Formats: sequence, C-alpha cells, structure tokens
Amino acid sequence: MLRSVFSKTLWEQRRGIIGWSSGIAAVGVLHASFYPSMANPDMAAAIEAFPDGMLEALGFTDITSSAGYLGGATYGILGPVLIIIFASTFGARAIAGEEEAGRLDVLLAHPVARWSVLVQRAGALVVAVAIAGIAVFAVMTAAAGPAQYAQIGVANLAAATVQLVLLGCFFGALAFSVGAITGRRSFALATVVAVAILTYFANTLGPSVDALAWSRDLSPFRYYSGSQPLVNGWPAADGLVLFLVGAAFVAVGVLGFSRRDLAT
Amino acid sequence: MTDIIRTEALGKSYGDRRGLDGLTLDVQPGEIYGFLGPNGAGKTTTIRILLDLIRPSHGRASVLGRDPRDGGPALRRRLGYLAGDFTVDGGQTGSELLTHLAHLRGGVAQQRIELLAARLDLDVNARIKSLSKGNRQKVGLIQAFMHEPELLILDEPTSGLDPMLQQTFVALVREAKAAGQTVFMSSHVLPEVQQTADRVGIIRDGRMVAVETVETLRRRAVRRVEIQFDVPVASDAFAGPANVADVKIDGPTLRCSLAGRADALIKAAARYPVESMVIEEPDLEELFFAYYQVEEVPHAA
Repeated sequence: MLRSVFSKTLWEQRRGIIGWSSGIAAVGVLHASFYPSMANPDMAAAIEAFPDGMLEALGFTDITSSAGYLGGATYGILGPVLIIIFASTFGARAIAGEEEAGRLDVLLAHPVARWSVLVQRAGALVVAVAIAGIAVFAVMTAAAGPAQYAQIGVANLAAATVQLVLLGCFFGALAFSVGAITGRRSFALATVVAVAILTYFANTLGPSVDALAWSRDLSPFRYYSGSQPLVNGWPAADGLVLFLVGAAFVAVGVLGFSRRDLAT
Repeated sequence: MTDIIRTEALGKSYGDRRGLDGLTLDVQPGEIYGFLGPNGAGKTTTIRILLDLIRPSHGRASVLGRDPRDGGPALRRRLGYLAGDFTVDGGQTGSELLTHLAHLRGGVAQQRIELLAARLDLDVNARIKSLSKGNRQKVGLIQAFMHEPELLILDEPTSGLDPMLQQTFVALVREAKAAGQTVFMSSHVLPEVQQTADRVGIIRDGRMVAVETVETLRRRAVRRVEIQFDVPVASDAFAGPANVADVKIDGPTLRCSLAGRADALIKAAARYPVESMVIEEPDLEELFFAYYQVEEVPHAA
C-alpha cells in the first residue's frame, strides 16, 4: 500500500472511502425499501397532483414504475448529489488541499514528476468513486428481490451505477483540476457547486424552455441519465463523453500544475 | 563547471514583493555551506527554486550541473531535502511514511532507516500527529539522510531539536561530509552552522551580502562586552583600544561592543582591578549590521 503515490493516496483516504461508500449504499437501501409503498394507485394519484414541470425538475418522471422510481430517487437526486460531494471533496483535497496543508513539498522534492503525482492521484480518485459504485450496485442488486424491483434487471442496475460512477468522476476531475491549477480547495469546490447546479437545471428545465433547449447538450446530467439506463441499458457513447471530458479536465490540470509555483 | 550548486543573478518576485534580487552563489563539491540570513531574507525561496518547487523570475540556477527545471526526478533522486517545518499527513506512522518515501527513491535499506531512528532516538511506530515538533523533525532528518544523497539541502534543519539531538545532527552532517556528500544548510542563527560549515553565505533582502569562511566570520563578529571594575573608571579610559566601539561607562561598569580580536580591550581593562567580565556570543543581527557598514563604505566615500 505504500509503494506508489496511487496506492498511498487510497490507503490514506481509506476511512473516507469506506464511510462514503456505505453511506451512499445505505441511501440506496433506504430508497429501495420505500419502493413497495410507492408502487400503489393512491400514490400515483397523489403524484398526479403535482405540475409536470416540477416533477421533472426534481428528476421524477414516472414514480410508480420501479425504473422511474429508482431513476428519480437513488439514481436521480440523492445518489448523484452524494457521489458528487464525495468525488469533488476527494478531488479538491488530492492536490489543492494537500498543498494548502503544506504537504506537497516533501512529496515533490522526491524523484517523482509532477504529472505523475497528478495522474496517480486522479487514478486514486477514479478507484475511490468506483468502490462507492460497487457498494451501491451490491446493495441495489441484493435489495431488488425483497423490494420488488427485480424486473429492472441486474444489467440495467449495473448500467445506471456505471453512469453514477462516471458522473462522480466527472465532477471529481473538475474539482481536482481547478484545485491543481489554482492551489485553492475553496475555488475547486465552489466551481463544482456552480457547475453542478447550472447543468442540473439545464438538463431538467432545458426541455421545457425552448430558448434553453441547446443547453441540455452541455449538461453532464444529460449524458448521465438522459437515455434512462435503468430502462435501456448502458449508454456507451454518453458514458464515454463523461469519461473523456473528465480526462480532459485532468489533462488541463496537469498542464496548469506543471507550470506554476507551489504555494509555501 | 564542477560547482554542486550555482546560481547566477537569481531573482524571484511575488507581485510587488521581492523574494530574491539577483542572488549569486556557488557551492563546491564536498563542502558544507551555511546559508545564513534573517527570516524573510529569501533563504527558503532560494531552496525551493533549487528543488524546482517554484521557478525563478529571472537568472539561472544549476544543481549537480542540471537546471532544476529540466532535471526532473533523475536530479531529485540525487538530493535529500528537509524543510524547516516538515509537514506530512499526521495519520500515518513514521515507519509508513519512511517506507513510502524510500519506495519513491527506488528503495533504501531498512537497516539504514532503523539505524538513523535509533541514533535520533525516534519511535518510528508512533503516529506522526502524536509526535512533538522535535520528534517530527527527526522523521524529516531521516528521510533526508537515509539514501545518502550526493547533495543535502537542509532548510533550518535543527529547529525544534533539543541540544543533545543537535549534536547528533552535527555528527550526521560531519559524517556526510566525510563520505563525500555536499551539504547546503540554511539557518537564521550562526551557532547552528558554525560548528559544521566550511563557508557561510549571508543573505539579506534577497541578495548575498558576504561569503566568508566561518573563521573569518567569527573574527569579524560583533560581541557585546560588559566589564565590572572594583572602582569607577575615567570616562575616556576606553577611547583608544582597537576593535572596540559603542563605549558606555557608568561608574565602575563598562559596556561596549567588540568586533574582532579582544587583545587591545583586555590590555586596556587590565589597568584596573576587574571584578567580572562577560563577552556575549556574537549576535547575528549585529553581524549583519557589521556587514552593512562594510557594504556602505563605498557609498559613503
């Protein structure tokens, strides 16, 4: 665990990774356990009373079908919010947080290139978020039978979870990169909050406001769940977009970080 | 170009604040070079440029014949570095950190780490956050010395170490020299380097004010002197002796400063019955002042 910057980073963050993974998985279980009580006609009638636009903005389209419910609940709001918080705090800490704490001097005075430190830490970020994804997938699959949503299928649950991981990596990479370029954890996190809120509403409100329709294609949330992976399986092209843009963030971060002075 | 470290007109500005202003220095193979200056003079800035943690605004630096900017990992493999405030993640044990850093260096004999830890009396199995400042600095010393690098760059290395450990540190530095390693060590206090250094460079406001051997420095250093006589002394009795300045006579008490040989002062004092005599260790600030006066002579003339 102490051999490389990559494994050392994961080892140092093990408590956070375990905590967040179990937390996000627990939210999944909680949502799943509510599903049986949602899937009845009374609830459908109650939901009808809400205006369509509002439900869409909140991520719910068809709350009484299992895919609609989980797509709105675990995979709709709370799952993405939690994984984005986890990934972006991890990403912001990986370089900017370490730098602000004065811990990068010792590491970078060793025979390891700056780009290598960044690539290894970005790799650790991906693995950390993937571990959280595996935990979510494990509990959602295990709960499928008891909570009566087995018809979604393991493959579609896996597809939605892979998208969740990629969404987390996208925002994690954004925080990572802004942090690496500016050296400020607060800038990194503020950027994520601003981008996440704007693009979330671009995705949900875009379709109902004609003038903003174009903005939906710029939203990571559209690539995350626009094709409804719980119903239609894994959208490889959308997933690739999230991955490649995230990788581009890291590449820009490497360029910026390699050129600048390290803060004292 | 056999210099181990060489900087030419090295400059670094932080906005309007100037960190370094044309610093030129050279460190020769196998020497122990003391880099002295008050806090804020630019010592850490210089060292961080040598390690490529920051980049100079102008001028050039070379370390082991390479520009730090281009040297990359291959160059840093040959260096050992200790920051004045050695900061690492506190959740790990000293042993975990040292094993990790040894891996980054491509491996260091475990015995070497254990030997250094034993000499410094450090428990490497304690979590770093539970260690005192001094013990934390020991972890830093071990990681700097463990791979026996060609060049040791030490920034205020003994801050927080108690006097006994400072002696262990002095021994480590002398052994490094004996093994042919070069040491570049910064400090804001002279005693820290005068035991080991061959040469001392004095930096002030980002410029090198003087480079001297430690012997020369000691001779030129200003020391405060206070002599108690049994009887009151004539007010002009100490106007004459060489190297004496700032004479103040208050009844039987003489206070003055001494720069250089004490012979003339002692002989002048010997004319009176002496009750006691105190010569303070040289104060570095006064040493700088002495250098400033030397520096300013051409302007005054």
